[in-house]
Amino acid sequence: MTNNPIHHRHIKTALTIRLVEEKFLQLFSEGKLNGTVHTCVGQEFSALAFAGQLKKKDFVFSNHRCHGHYIAFTDDVRGLLAELLGKETGTCGGIGSSQHLCNNNFFSNGIQGGIVPVAAGYALGNKLKKNGAIGLVYIGDGTLGEGALYETMNIISKWEIPLLIVCENNFYAQSTAQQVNLAGDIESRAAAFGINTYKGYTSSPEELLSKAEEVISYVRDECKPAFFLVETYRLNPHSKGDDDRDPAEIEKFRNNDYLEIFQKTNPVYYNQYQTEITNEIDVLLSDIFNDSDLALDKYYSPKVPVENADWMALDPIGKRQVELLNTFFKDKMVADELTVFIGEDILSPYGGAFKVAKDLSFIAPERTFSTPISESAIMGISNGLALNGFKPFAEIMFGDFITLAFDQIVNHASKFYHMFNKKVSCPVVVRTPMGGRRGYGPTHSQTLDKFLIGIDNVKTVALNTFFDPAVLYHSISSEIHPVIVIENKIDYGKKILNHQSPNYYYERTDDLYPVVRVRPILSKPTLTIVSYGGMADLINTILNDIFVETDLKPELIIPSLISEMPVHLIADSLEESGKLLFVEEGSASGGIGAELAAQVAEYTDFKYVFRRIAALPVPVPSVKSLENLVIPDKNRIIQEIKYYFT
Amino acid sequence: MALLQEIKVPLLSVNDTSLTIIDTPFTSGEKVDTGQVIVVFETSKTSYEVTAETPGYIQYLCSNGDDYEVNEVVVKIFSDSKDIDLSVETPVKKIKKLAPINTKEWSGETQFSSGAKKLLEENELSSDLFKGYDFVSKEDVMAIMVSSPKTKKNKLANSVSQMPKQTRLDIIDYKISSGKKIEIDYLSDVQQAGLTSTVHIYVDTAFIFGHLNNALKALKNSILPLVIYESSRLLKKYPLLNAFYNSDSISVYKDINPGFAIDIGKGLKVLNVKNAGELSIQHIEEKILDLSGKYLDDKLELEHLTDITFTITDLSAEGTFLFKPLVNFMNSSILGISSIDTKLNRCVLSMTFDHRITEGKLVAGFLQELKIRLESYRSDNQSLMNQDVMCFKCRKKLKDDLADVGFSKCITPKGDEAYICQSCFKGY
Ligand SMILES: Cc1ncc(C[n+]2csc(CCOP(=O)(O)OP(=O)(O)O)c2C)c(N)n1
Repeated sequence: MTNNPIHHRHIKTALTIRLVEEKFLQLFSEGKLNGTVHTCVGQEFSALAFAGQLKKKDFVFSNHRCHGHYIAFTDDVRGLLAELLGKETGTCGGIGSSQHLCNNNFFSNGIQGGIVPVAAGYALGNKLKKNGAIGLVYIGDGTLGEGALYETMNIISKWEIPLLIVCENNFYAQSTAQQVNLAGDIESRAAAFGINTYKGYTSSPEELLSKAEEVISYVRDECKPAFFLVETYRLNPHSKGDDDRDPAEIEKFRNNDYLEIFQKTNPVYYNQYQTEITNEIDVLLSDIFNDSDLALDKYYSPKVPVENADWMALDPIGKRQVELLNTFFKDKMVADELTVFIGEDILSPYGGAFKVAKDLSFIAPERTFSTPISESAIMGISNGLALNGFKPFAEIMFGDFITLAFDQIVNHASKFYHMFNKKVSCPVVVRTPMGGRRGYGPTHSQTLDKFLIGIDNVKTVALNTFFDPAVLYHSISSEIHPVIVIENKIDYGKKILNHQSPNYYYERTDDLYPVVRVRPILSKPTLTIVSYGGMADLINTILNDIFVETDLKPELIIPSLISEMPVHLIADSLEESGKLLFVEEGSASGGIGAELAAQVAEYTDFKYVFRRIAALPVPVPSVKSLENLVIPDKNRIIQEIKYYFT
Repeated sequence: MALLQEIKVPLLSVNDTSLTIIDTPFTSGEKVDTGQVIVVFETSKTSYEVTAETPGYIQYLCSNGDDYEVNEVVVKIFSDSKDIDLSVETPVKKIKKLAPINTKEWSGETQFSSGAKKLLEENELSSDLFKGYDFVSKEDVMAIMVSSPKTKKNKLANSVSQMPKQTRLDIIDYKISSGKKIEIDYLSDVQQAGLTSTVHIYVDTAFIFGHLNNALKALKNSILPLVIYESSRLLKKYPLLNAFYNSDSISVYKDINPGFAIDIGKGLKVLNVKNAGELSIQHIEEKILDLSGKYLDDKLELEHLTDITFTITDLSAEGTFLFKPLVNFMNSSILGISSIDTKLNRCVLSMTFDHRITEGKLVAGFLQELKIRLESYRSDNQSLMNQDVMCFKCRKKLKDDLADVGFSKCITPKGDEAYICQSCFKGY
């Protein structure tokens, strides 16, 4: 190990990090700190070498052990202290605390591995902006177990994204020693993707600093990714207590720690710096203690629901839904330089499994990204692009595959805005075709919509065949929060409002997310049916059969924003009909109908009958006869209406 | 400086809980004179004009084309135009309109449910009746059948709602409720021909409940279940009384479905005791109770109200001596039950019939036979009846008398005839 002297500026920063974290541990033991802290005592020079040597325009993504990275990059000690003390003046208003920081291009999140594709997306954004900024993402060695990392390494290498991955190898993941879980070799993992790899040690800061500088320049100048393995050791427990490591081992590393050595070799400087910094921290703290907590209404205030204003008549459009979608995206790609289209197999001439992306790669090749089979990375990269000001439209080839992107939706896209105390927003859009009736079988036909509503701060929109999908996509384009769009495989090929049942009036609200209503021209409805997407298309074609066979005069209400049902409109109709039916293509249990039932019950004060018709609780079979039984078809719907309501 | 008249949205029919305003001939602030039409409402069937009762200055609290709930004040007339605050244009809460289209101009092809089609066929109704409808369900057909018995024969003669109105100042007009209108239409069908006649007979009811009360669960001392039971059996012999006059022919029902009339707060309805000729007395009692329950709970369905071939109306609880029942639409006769005279131990049965179908002789024969049948229930075994004799002092029943001595007939201190047991008589 080399122990060349380094600039005292670095020593002071490293010592600041250490003293701040030790303060946290002290405050925690005094009961003044809520939650948890993961300190990087012993690892500080990794923060200095990378986060500390970036430019302001660059960015850093970090993980749970992020205080050092934060201070090294932002120099914002007060914001960090106040954040951990849960104060409004904290960097994220006390919402994020230790693991969720956001300030001037610095982001951290507590999901291991999840930030890697997000960082890649952010870096891709910089590459598209050609602003010369690069990015850095820190992971621990334990995180080498996460799949999202490898999806991302593949893509950043292939697409030459200027992202530096720094793996801080402290030989432990929480309580588990590395040899228990890690197979093979670390550096060759990155090398296998064709990524340049480097190595350094926090015990040799001078060498680490200069190697880091070199790698940073490589990433910036070559516009290529790099992987840097930092060997280091944390001298404190994983978080606050419990350390099962051999004390002798810890002691050995402590003796080798640069700051410890500096204290012994330069006691005068050390003591002087220590006193200075400690005083500084104490002064800040005594000030912070007077700050107040964030008020709830600054964090969350319920939305006042907007009553739908006007109704407008619907007209058929002699075009298939997929053509209209394709036209929308072609126009959008041309009109808006911040639009990005990303997904599997979307390059033209193929243009995506369902042809929504046809010709996009001809029109805007630099913003049309055909990805490997990596749903998690598709979603994560889209999230990163969205954080960086782009409007990404991510396509998940089949609805069933959206589960692989779920962490990115729930723990990243959904949370960023609030957990970073509204400093950023993530206007990502993910579109996917759901639904069966094409014989694709269990993993390509299921309707998973019920898992996709009820995600906080995420809108879930379902297209339908009653009006131009561009109306919805225009609204979606101007959202500043994430939107999931459920498309339907069968509906793609249908023309808009191709079928109109006789004696019904077809209309929609002029909301951002219009509600369609199909109601008897004169009669009072005696059955209110709510359905959406592909199922609504089917119901529309059998309205007359329902009437002829059940004697009930149905009114069909079709929401497009299925995460926020138009309960007042449904209740208006229900008040007349007294009977409410929800038909969904997914299975019933824990489903969208269940949510609707709860909301309608909470909203109304009159008696009515409610029923659901849904898929049977089994995977969708491929064989046609069975598929038609598992997913509600015309016969079943009519039979069940008769059974339930007459 | 006074409010002279206030016009509220009237309740014109049970179904119209709100009315549409279709004309407001003046504007707020204008002067109006007595007798001038000042507002016109539209109901589900007709339009309804309201005239000024006094000269004055008008203020509208409504706007044309909107719906208002019954009892809301929509127009005011003041003695002085200064009383009108024109700033309060339409403070009355409007009912949200669901339809942005003009529902009046509909002329498309009507859709019929299969249930409706069946009902039309069964009742030989023409689908033309439903011109202007979008959808016709079973209920719609039924509603037409009930509200307009003429539909059967497709003649839409002078139904009440179409009679010309006169304005007279010496009388007060009360609107006839839609329920009453239906009733009138219903009864006019047979009665308007003027060819009905009524025959009365009395039935000796002494001890008639002796056995009967043992058989009945709830309707003790009611003769209705027995009358339904016996008359439905007897009607098999008198098919013309289970029939109706159908233009130039007489239609005889194959089934015997007597209906009993009921009117306890929810309008006059006739409820069908289907196939009563095949039911036991107990079943008939159960049916009566069940149907009355449904009537009270508004749970009646089409089948409970239709296909009635013969009607029985029971006014025995109302202290009646004698009355003339009116024959129902699509029936040829109706049997009325008056109250039992407890002194004379008898009650009067009255049967009104359609003379176009049959004559008094046949009806008298029917009643005579019915009387014999009913009287056969009288307990000829006097002792059985006496079991119910009660001591007026201790209220002990003869059948509970363990002394085995018997009761004495006596005169009570009030002067009534009564019985007294031996214990009380001897003064223990
Ligand atoms: C997806 C996910 N799984 C598990 C955890 C719980 N967890 C937090 S830190 C940690 C260990 C991480 O080890 P490593 O990546 O080596 O980082 P270090 O803690 O050593 O800095 C674990 C398992 C988590 N935060 N996220």
